[in-house]
Amino acid sequence: MTGLLTVVIVFAINFVIIRLAPGDPIKTLMGKENDDPVLRAALEEKYGLDKSMPMQFVLYLKTAMTGDLGTSIIYNRPVIDMIAEKIFATLLLVLSAALLALIIGTIMGIHAARHEGSLVDVIFSGVAYVLNSMPSFWLGLMLIIIFASRLKVLPSCGMTDTRASYIGGKYVLDVLKHMILPVGTLLLIQIPSYFRIAKSSVLQVSNEDFITTLRATGMGERKIFNKYIFRNAILPTITIFGISMAYLITGVALIEIVFAWPGTGRLVLTAITQRDYPTLMGIYLIMSISVAVVMILVDIVYALFDPRIRY
Amino acid sequence: MKSEKKRFKNIINKIKNDRQLKYGTFGIIFLLLVVLLSPLISTHDPNVFGPDALNKIGENGHLLGTNHLGQDIFSMIIHGTRTSLKVAIISALISGMLGILIGGVGGFFGGRVDQVISEKINIFMMLPTFFLILLIISLFGNSITNVMIVIGLTTWPSNAKLMRAQALSLRERTFVRSAVAMGENRRQILFKYIIPNGIFPVVANTTMGMSNAILTEASLSFLGLGDPNVISWGQMIYTGKAYLTSAWWISTFAGLAIVITVIFFYLLGDGLNHVLNPKYVNRKGE
Amino acid sequence: METILELQDYSVTYINQNNDKKVHAVKDANFKINKGDSLGIVGESGSGKSTMAMALLRLLSPKSVEISGSANFIGNELTILPEEELKKIRWKELAVVFQKSMNALSPVHRIGNQIEDIYRVHNPQATKKEVFERVKILFEMVNLSDRVYHLYPHELSGGMLQRVAIALSLIHSPKLLILDEATTALDVVTQGQILDEIEKMEKTMDMTRIMITHDMSVVAASCNKVAVMYAGEFMEIGLVKDVLKYPKHPYTKGLLSAFPSLTDTRAKLTAIKGFLPDLSAEQTGCIFAPRCEYAMDICKSERPKSVFMKDGTQVRCHLCKEGD
Repeated sequence: MTGLLTVVIVFAINFVIIRLAPGDPIKTLMGKENDDPVLRAALEEKYGLDKSMPMQFVLYLKTAMTGDLGTSIIYNRPVIDMIAEKIFATLLLVLSAALLALIIGTIMGIHAARHEGSLVDVIFSGVAYVLNSMPSFWLGLMLIIIFASRLKVLPSCGMTDTRASYIGGKYVLDVLKHMILPVGTLLLIQIPSYFRIAKSSVLQVSNEDFITTLRATGMGERKIFNKYIFRNAILPTITIFGISMAYLITGVALIEIVFAWPGTGRLVLTAITQRDYPTLMGIYLIMSISVAVVMILVDIVYALFDPRIRY
Repeated sequence: MKSEKKRFKNIINKIKNDRQLKYGTFGIIFLLLVVLLSPLISTHDPNVFGPDALNKIGENGHLLGTNHLGQDIFSMIIHGTRTSLKVAIISALISGMLGILIGGVGGFFGGRVDQVISEKINIFMMLPTFFLILLIISLFGNSITNVMIVIGLTTWPSNAKLMRAQALSLRERTFVRSAVAMGENRRQILFKYIIPNGIFPVVANTTMGMSNAILTEASLSFLGLGDPNVISWGQMIYTGKAYLTSAWWISTFAGLAIVITVIFFYLLGDGLNHVLNPKYVNRKGE
Repeated sequence: METILELQDYSVTYINQNNDKKVHAVKDANFKINKGDSLGIVGESGSGKSTMAMALLRLLSPKSVEISGSANFIGNELTILPEEELKKIRWKELAVVFQKSMNALSPVHRIGNQIEDIYRVHNPQATKKEVFERVKILFEMVNLSDRVYHLYPHELSGGMLQRVAIALSLIHSPKLLILDEATTALDVVTQGQILDEIEKMEKTMDMTRIMITHDMSVVAASCNKVAVMYAGEFMEIGLVKDVLKYPKHPYTKGLLSAFPSLTDTRAKLTAIKGFLPDLSAEQTGCIFAPRCEYAMDICKSERPKSVFMKDGTQVRCHLCKEGD
């Protein structure tokens, strides 16, 4: 399927990019300061630079399959470990934002569709338009200024309050409190997509012939909406969920940086500034695979809801 | 001669009638004016590190304050307009040209060529592009030129998809078929008929792409991958981050500039979409 | 004779929200349908036939449509009936089979599922079995296999969907059935079968029928009354045997000569020259005058009234005087 092919291509890109970059790939992988000949020899053997290109690629794939994504130049730890320990924090943000945006955005969209042209519709649409045009990180910064700096109601960074150490229920509350702004930012950025698709979808379905038929049978508006309009209109939203997740998976890094959230996003920042390529590439790989997986799942769910599509 | 005049009037009318297109066009024209008149509007030379560091709004004649190096925020924003527009237009051009070419070839020639091309398009559409751009920029250097080229090289798939759909439907039209029957060279047909007629939805999409390009450049700068030699709004937000609580104006206004510019481009794109709807256009091409 | 439906000066006008333009889709419809009648409404595409079908059941959005006049359905004034009362009538007493049944059912629900819902609108306690038994009978009538019940709409052909729509319309044994181009998409054999079945049912179920079509032969074969519609106005209304043999209105004459006859000599088919008028423009005089061969001066300035001829036919034409 296309999903698998994508993953292969991602590997290929990773592979090719290192070799295309100016300079010696091994040096790039080792880090500019490092000049240890032993390390160099080890790396050369690992990546098989003396062998032909296709062989190198196969070797690369093999190593990656075993979970070895290279070693971080800076921390000298396996990349995969570093990612694994941070991934939970990131998932926390991504999943909360994705689900909340889906629910809130869709409800807003449905409401706007049913009351098309009303003041509420105009306001929602306007707000959605503006939110859609904002850089996520800037919005995060603005929220920090307002809520943390001026109003002082919410924490501006981190996942927990470092001054105290809570356990159990208090811990959960503390984390939640710290989650509000970052999740809120991601949420606001994503809502417009769901809003727009829900609104247009409901409007479109409401004008379809079969809805007129159902009305002609004397069926109540409520039943028509809850069962028939909803089921038909929800389909595009499923697709949007996939796209939204893809955006979140890649864009959460920026928000983590703004809010100093201890997730994989911050790894990205240090990796960039220090030019820690193994880490960067490892993250890119994980990210792309996650997106591909999400897309495949979304396709499957879509097929479940739309009987016209069956594999 | 007369038909040229009529066509122009037609276009003006269309712009007037569609509200979004109207505001979008005005917005873009406004931005272009800002770029052209930047030396006149700026109150200070943005590149100069002045003595007034971290001035508040209005202090010492600095309309929007200064940053930690004494640069006037207002002037920096004015000059940043040029950077943003440059990035938007050039990356959109690259992305558009690639998309039109690849999509056009795939849609028009069909068969195996098309199959391969569509597969490629679908795959590339799935790849998370931002991160790829990040990777490339960190490896190849963070000059603004690199940024523009890379954005262009990674955003062509959506244009290609649109162009391909257009090419597929145009292929069946009578005037194309007669051209084929008359023995015209396939490449000629592609460039003479298919592309000029199918280009319109791609244009609208490219406009959206421009907004995305601006946001991408801002994100890159925020991560520290911006071009330090160039004044960009993203960079401003980046430098302002450290002074968030003490000098909030550094980041805020740069971000506002981005929001307003992006809204203008979206309005333009939406408006173009309404007006240049393929249904509408194919009647013109008849 | 019990009157099932009586229209008096019934008019349907579309109002465009943006520029206040009015389109007169149906203008001053006046006729009576008695129990057991089968009325065929004939006219060109765009003459307003479908609009009327939708308007009677108030299925058009009140925001964009203005209905005036009276439409009395067995004592119920359809134009002013409260929504709750109207819902009770919909489908149970008055059912419609729409054009383009391709999209008549929700694509993401099974056909049986939807039919159950529809049946339960008026019979909330009905069990699945009951509904299925009832539908089986109807499916048989329209020549559909049982298994269609469990399929999704996209798994059926256009013709099959049309037949499902027809079966569905009969589910509550309505008193009045309106078929809007319902057999157009079907092959002649199936069309004949269905029409036969419907005629049979009319006798057993005491059903009255309105058939909207552009096909005069269907009207000739299965209806007893005919109403000729042009640009929203009714030009000639009368018994089929009268109108088809002795058409009085020039438009009717034109329509009939445009249809090939199986029995008559091979005469040349004639088309009515011209196009339908712009229904949003205000009309002076007879609306058919621009295309009429026999147009006189008065036809261009004064709109003819609908008058009754000696044989009971209603005609709207200056050429016809009352009681001729």
